[in-house]
Amino acid sequence: MRSSRRALVPAFAALLIASAGFVVACGGSQPSTPAPAVDRRPVVAALRAEPRSFNRLAAPDRGSLVVSLLLNARLVELNHKTHEIEPALATKWSLAADGKTYTLDLRPGVTFSDGAPFTADDVVFTFAAVYDPKVDSPIASALTIGGKPIAVRKTGDHQVVLTFPTPYGPGLRILDSLPILPAHKLKDALAKGEFAKAWTTATPPAELAGLGPFVLTGYAAGDRLELARNPRYGARGPDVHPGVERLTLRIVPKQDAERVALEAGELDLLNSELRPDDLKAVRTLASAGKVKTYDLGPAIDAEMLWFNLRADQKKPAAARPWTDVRFRRAVLQAIDRQAFVDTVYLGAGTPVDGPITPGNKAWHASGLPQYPFDVAKAKALFAEVGVADTNGDGVLDVKGKPFAIELLTQRGHAGRERGSQVIAGQLKKAGLTVDVVALELPALVERINKGTYDAIYYGISSGDTDPSVNLDYWLSTGSFHVWNPAQAKPATPWEAEIDRLMQELTGLTDASARQARFAKVQEIFVTNLPAIFLAAPNLTTATSARVEGLEPGPLYPYLLWRADTMRLAQPH
Amino acid sequence: MWRFLVARASLLVVLVLAASSAMVAVTSLAPGDVTTESAMFGATTAQVARERARLGLDRPALERYGLWLGRTLRLDFGTSFRYGQPVASLVAARAGHSALLAGVALICAVAIGLPAGLLSGSGRFPRTAGVVAGVSLVLLSLPPLLVALLLTFVAARTGWAPTSGMQSAGADAWGTGARILDVAWHLVVPVLALGLPLAASFERVQQAAAADGAGARHALAARARGVGLARWLWRALWRPTASPVVSVFGLAAGTLLSGALAVELVTAWPGLGRLMFEALATRDTPLAAGCGAAAAAFLAIWTTLGDLAAWWLDPRLRPEGGR
Amino acid sequence: MTPPGEALAAGRGRGRRRVPIAVAVGLGVLSIVALVAVAAPVVATNDPSTQFADRVLAPPMPPRFVDAAGGWHLRPFVYPQRLVDRLEQRYVEDTSRPVPLGLFVGGALVAPVDPAAEPWLPLGADRLGRDGWARLAFGARRSLGVAFTASAGAIALGLLVGLVAGYAGGAVDALAMRAAELVLVLPVLYVVLAARAALPDTLPASTVFALTTTVLTLLGWPMVARGVRAIVAREALAEFAVAARAMGASPLRIVWRHLAPATIGFLRTQALQLVPAAILAETTLSFAGLGFSPNAPSWGTLLHDAADIAVVVDAPWLLAAAGAVVAVVLAINLATLEAVHRR
Repeated sequence: MRSSRRALVPAFAALLIASAGFVVACGGSQPSTPAPAVDRRPVVAALRAEPRSFNRLAAPDRGSLVVSLLLNARLVELNHKTHEIEPALATKWSLAADGKTYTLDLRPGVTFSDGAPFTADDVVFTFAAVYDPKVDSPIASALTIGGKPIAVRKTGDHQVVLTFPTPYGPGLRILDSLPILPAHKLKDALAKGEFAKAWTTATPPAELAGLGPFVLTGYAAGDRLELARNPRYGARGPDVHPGVERLTLRIVPKQDAERVALEAGELDLLNSELRPDDLKAVRTLASAGKVKTYDLGPAIDAEMLWFNLRADQKKPAAARPWTDVRFRRAVLQAIDRQAFVDTVYLGAGTPVDGPITPGNKAWHASGLPQYPFDVAKAKALFAEVGVADTNGDGVLDVKGKPFAIELLTQRGHAGRERGSQVIAGQLKKAGLTVDVVALELPALVERINKGTYDAIYYGISSGDTDPSVNLDYWLSTGSFHVWNPAQAKPATPWEAEIDRLMQELTGLTDASARQARFAKVQEIFVTNLPAIFLAAPNLTTATSARVEGLEPGPLYPYLLWRADTMRLAQPH
Repeated sequence: MWRFLVARASLLVVLVLAASSAMVAVTSLAPGDVTTESAMFGATTAQVARERARLGLDRPALERYGLWLGRTLRLDFGTSFRYGQPVASLVAARAGHSALLAGVALICAVAIGLPAGLLSGSGRFPRTAGVVAGVSLVLLSLPPLLVALLLTFVAARTGWAPTSGMQSAGADAWGTGARILDVAWHLVVPVLALGLPLAASFERVQQAAAADGAGARHALAARARGVGLARWLWRALWRPTASPVVSVFGLAAGTLLSGALAVELVTAWPGLGRLMFEALATRDTPLAAGCGAAAAAFLAIWTTLGDLAAWWLDPRLRPEGGR
Repeated sequence: MTPPGEALAAGRGRGRRRVPIAVAVGLGVLSIVALVAVAAPVVATNDPSTQFADRVLAPPMPPRFVDAAGGWHLRPFVYPQRLVDRLEQRYVEDTSRPVPLGLFVGGALVAPVDPAAEPWLPLGADRLGRDGWARLAFGARRSLGVAFTASAGAIALGLLVGLVAGYAGGAVDALAMRAAELVLVLPVLYVVLAARAALPDTLPASTVFALTTTVLTLLGWPMVARGVRAIVAREALAEFAVAARAMGASPLRIVWRHLAPATIGFLRTQALQLVPAAILAETTLSFAGLGFSPNAPSWGTLLHDAADIAVVVDAPWLLAAAGAVVAVVLAINLATLEAVHRR
């Protein structure tokens, strides 16, 4: 029919025009935003998810953490670059001879954003709120040593004495996670037992008061938070002020959208690191002078692959050969870590030998037992534990019965999904069948808690480089001892040894003694491989060219942890 | 008419209860719960147990559902597990944003799709009809997420529109007029991402209806009489064929809701779709149920309006005994 | 320009004698796609799950007839790729070593003559270095399989419900139509989420196939049922039906022999709309994590991997699945163009 033929040509013409337009847009040059004479736009930082609350003591999520870092100040600050603590609201401190009593001098002349003076009462109040059972604060466990709280006593308007239940290796580092809240604003709520409900995100900004470099001026739910410089900020001394008048935290739920916004000039600070896929494009922008990239070195935390070593398993032991350490060593030797880095991180990564990455300079031990990539050796080790190719089909089996491992990982996390696929692909070359299943995070955590899994590829991020802060992971009694949590008594001699060493080094205050013991812990860990660490990504973050004065470091948040030195670059 | 409205009101109640019950089912039956987040960020096992008890999560699922149903029938939508705020206020603001997006997308779809369909179905411009058909088919065969991504890419490269968010940074300080324009500017990408595929389906339906109508005797007669194009398009083509198109409006609501999620995620539009998605992912039962209820109410009202408009345009369609 | 009536009349006559080009093109594309899906193991250039570590995000390697020096070759060949910069995902063609392609080499339809050479990636590779063309071909089986099965199911179920409702009328009719409305109006994604949550986390691919097909069938029948019911209700009042009833024919015979054939035209148009919609719905479900898992590639999971700005900008060949969906939809519409016009 003539009209159908006539329709055919224009239909394809339409497609051609559309594709041509697309190609033109692809090849088009970057938009040139005219530089304003005086840059009055706020600095825009990305936030992945909304804060659950403006009350950090009641909300454990990352959004609340970032907002709290900007609105509140702490007694001491952990420098994310050097990993050492620095004075903030506490100007100096001293440790008594008993090794557990700290006397802190507080900075005089500091006021909250509403003008009320900061005194030792606010410190005492904040500690009381954290430990209050009605509040049941999720950050209380970070400030609890061996199940006991820290005793706080005021010895003057600007001096407090903290008495730890036992001598504690990390010392005052844990105070980095405690924002000091205004007693005058919240003590009524605490007295009435309503502290946990105070300062939700529906609170009008005028109600909030803090010691931080910024104050909240507006919150558009789901879209952004508007902050302004706190003129009364003095937590780090009278000379430290943010050089930025206004800061906007924009909620950007997808990581790839951040890169687009950065390119388009709509974003100044990224939420976290750049994905390897985006590095090329952002580096091109950096060489054109439009953005600045910051190399943060290897990440502090690497993803881990671990097997279910719990005792309460329904599957017979013969079907769980990974309970034998030789199987786990074989898995490690079957994986080409460099190929892993090349595929998952596009080469921007560092193969690691153990649980502590080279990014954690103070605690990384060298000279750990090595398990180099050797597929033949891996197959031999597999055969030793009864996993061999008995029927000659190239696939390993157990006594002739097909053998497959179900590897669970987190859906929606590209790095973990990719990593687990690469692990499966590598193990397949050695003949081992691995089925990767990506689950939503709550489903994955449920499986971990119930112990209904074979193997998991996941990562735990720590807020501090000091291992004593993560005792829940290292101790066999810990809830985060993921391969076999909450043991009544240590299931293996080496776990008992790690328990002993960790308890010892947590009670010591001498740095080198602690490091020596922890090196031993790493050696035992790598010898027995309860969890397999493959590689750590090399982190890179970026900002637009208009912002400077930041000190990026590999602990989250990489850029906003020190927002009070941020300033706008002068046009030149 | 009254019987119809009563029937529709009962449909609304049924839909709202069904949708929100489905949300309760998802968040209760799916593994894990809202305390997962606390556990991940440092809460001890004892604390997690206490939090579950506080939120009532240690009770059996049926008992929880019964409690929730009882409260909801009293129009008490509860408090969000994660935010600690009343669900109604959390949902209301975001529902407004979604309604704005959906409304403008619908207007855009109508403004583009209907005239395009009329023109291509009239039979007078076969070449243009082919082009339009090709574009429509391409739009209809692309997933909404991809359309949103492509538009974001174009916006980023050309700088014609912002790539994400609802307002610019610092917009709090501007005057009302500037703020309205700012929101309108931020609407460009999400509205096109949502509205273009919808326009394509409107165009297809309108084209089919108009092609039928164009052959109908009175249309031919009008053309033979030499009636002007615009007048002919309106009188002879649009009015008789409007009703099948308008009845498709009702179905557009479902498409809009599903597409809105993808668009809201890509463009970071602070709407109901994103809130519901996050509530489901974090197992925040009351909030998810509230979002489901809002979405269902939106759907029921929309389809009712669509049906009313169809009947106003074409009395033949009124249901038997529905006056 | 001829008045529309005359063109229609002329076309109607001509259409019977000669297959229009549009229909031929559409049918041709559909046949090729179907063949690729059926013969995926032979047509695919590599195993779809093999990860080539040195080919992460490699660009397509198109077969050529003209070499770098401008000389023509009768036999098509490809230039192997060399990885230049891993982080920048930069590859360079090695123009000094053209690898000729041959038919039926090593079990594949078309493959490089030297099987030991580097892999041939006609559509490039994805983020894990897997062959895009192989995944597209194998994915076609799942996506098209689900789409056609679900459309057939939706038509069958919709026809059944529509016939019963249209003929029986009354309460049965009202109930059926209310059910149809409810399904039409419910937002798909959230309903499926609810269903999926009640199922175990990990499902084998065959179960997912069955589930996805069932879900799409249940979502597709209302439109069909409404249309069939309207046609049947109208036709039941027509003279021949009344006469048949008067002559004592059983309801089953009336429905099947006299009323059902009237719905064929409508069913054909519905099929046109259902298949692309089902393809897209499977895409959306897999994207949302509710359909196939990444181990069992379907066009939906391929698009899930590609739904990323970095892909659109840097590696657009990953959007091949989107192109395939567009091509199939266009082909279906072209193949049935005549059917649409002739009404």
